[in-house]
Amino acid sequence: MPNQIDFEAKPHHDAEELLPWYATGQLQGDELALVEQHLASCAHCRRQVAFERHMIDEFAQLTPEVDNGWARLKRRLEAPQPLQVQQRSQARQSWWDKVVSDCAELLQSVTRPAVAALAAAQVAFVAIAGTLIYSLSQPSYQALGSAPAPQSANVIAMFRADTTESQLNEILRTNGASLVGGPTSADAYLLRVPAVSREKTLAKLRADKHVLMAQPIDGKTS
Amino acid sequence: MREGPNVNSAGTAIRPRTEAAPSGALDETELLERVKARDVDAFERLYRIYQPRLARFLINLLKRPQLVEEVLDDTMMVVWQTADSFRGTSKLSTWVFAIAYRKALKAKARWPDPIEDQAEDTRVSNDPAPDAELERSRVHDALVGAMTDLSAEQRAVVDLTYFHGLGYREIAEILSCPVDTVKTRMFHARRRLKQALSGTLADWL
Repeated sequence: MPNQIDFEAKPHHDAEELLPWYATGQLQGDELALVEQHLASCAHCRRQVAFERHMIDEFAQLTPEVDNGWARLKRRLEAPQPLQVQQRSQARQSWWDKVVSDCAELLQSVTRPAVAALAAAQVAFVAIAGTLIYSLSQPSYQALGSAPAPQSANVIAMFRADTTESQLNEILRTNGASLVGGPTSADAYLLRVPAVSREKTLAKLRADKHVLMAQPIDGKTS
Repeated sequence: MREGPNVNSAGTAIRPRTEAAPSGALDETELLERVKARDVDAFERLYRIYQPRLARFLINLLKRPQLVEEVLDDTMMVVWQTADSFRGTSKLSTWVFAIAYRKALKAKARWPDPIEDQAEDTRVSNDPAPDAELERSRVHDALVGAMTDLSAEQRAVVDLTYFHGLGYREIAEILSCPVDTVKTRMFHARRRLKQALSGTLADWL
């Protein structure tokens, strides 16, 4: 059969191997002539040239940087569980942080004697308001998989600016206090101290030279 | 935005390539001479010419963006430090790509490809889309998936040919292998690409 192409024949194979570079215009001289001569008689290779041109167009539009980046981002999108829990706890913390920071800004004025008396009254008010707001901010349900409910704070304290971390740790340890939150933007800390001995602990804290102020914040008297 | 296609003696349309034009090539040689004289501004210009091309070449080989940055920086540091050793016997781009390829293979040995659900990227979306757009996206997804299945050496040859528009002799120089190896890799790679696209390219097959 005159039109039968022998795909194993050397001229066919040699020409077919060169087709990608024929399609990109990289062939010259004898090689270009060889391919052109072969194409004239080989429909299979002419179709292959069409495929090569299509590949060149496709590769011009391929963006592996974007494809890789999108695949990576999509994997994050498809893992929503941990993200949601984290967002919820972050939202609660930052909201509460703001309440505390508002309290602390007022309490900071205690360090200025002229407004100390006024501040004392404000502290009492803020402590009650803070308690109310804090209780409202507590989730009324415990979702599966959410982080354990944070231990609630019952003391807000501020320390002198020159207090070192180890001194702060020592104060907490000797008073049986644990750190619940902070520092806020006003450098106040939320502490949890044993409820039964809170008044004593507050007195001890206030007596400490590193403590600028220590106030109860849940409004309960123990 | 594209220039009109050139036409060779066979009437074959040749797409404009990403290769630098002859005047650009002269500029590069000039830049390298200034780099040899420790001109940082010239080196920055050279970096800006090569960064996009190398990033594209390397992401196809390495799959890890952080690694691409590292290898790209290492490559350009070698260009800066050994500019004197470039004798001009090959094109500057051949020399730079060859450095990048060697660095990439070394990095690959340290950090194998991330294990991913490769099929995930090739699955066809069920979202409704206009026919043409759907077909486009099918071809694109199939091609991305097929490229992932090729070896790094095959990916290098395919990308340097189709995207960077290099001839097989220059690719052989970059990959430091015989020209017949380049032809064979290309032959097998495009057969696999064709298979992967067989459901999407009825018109070409």
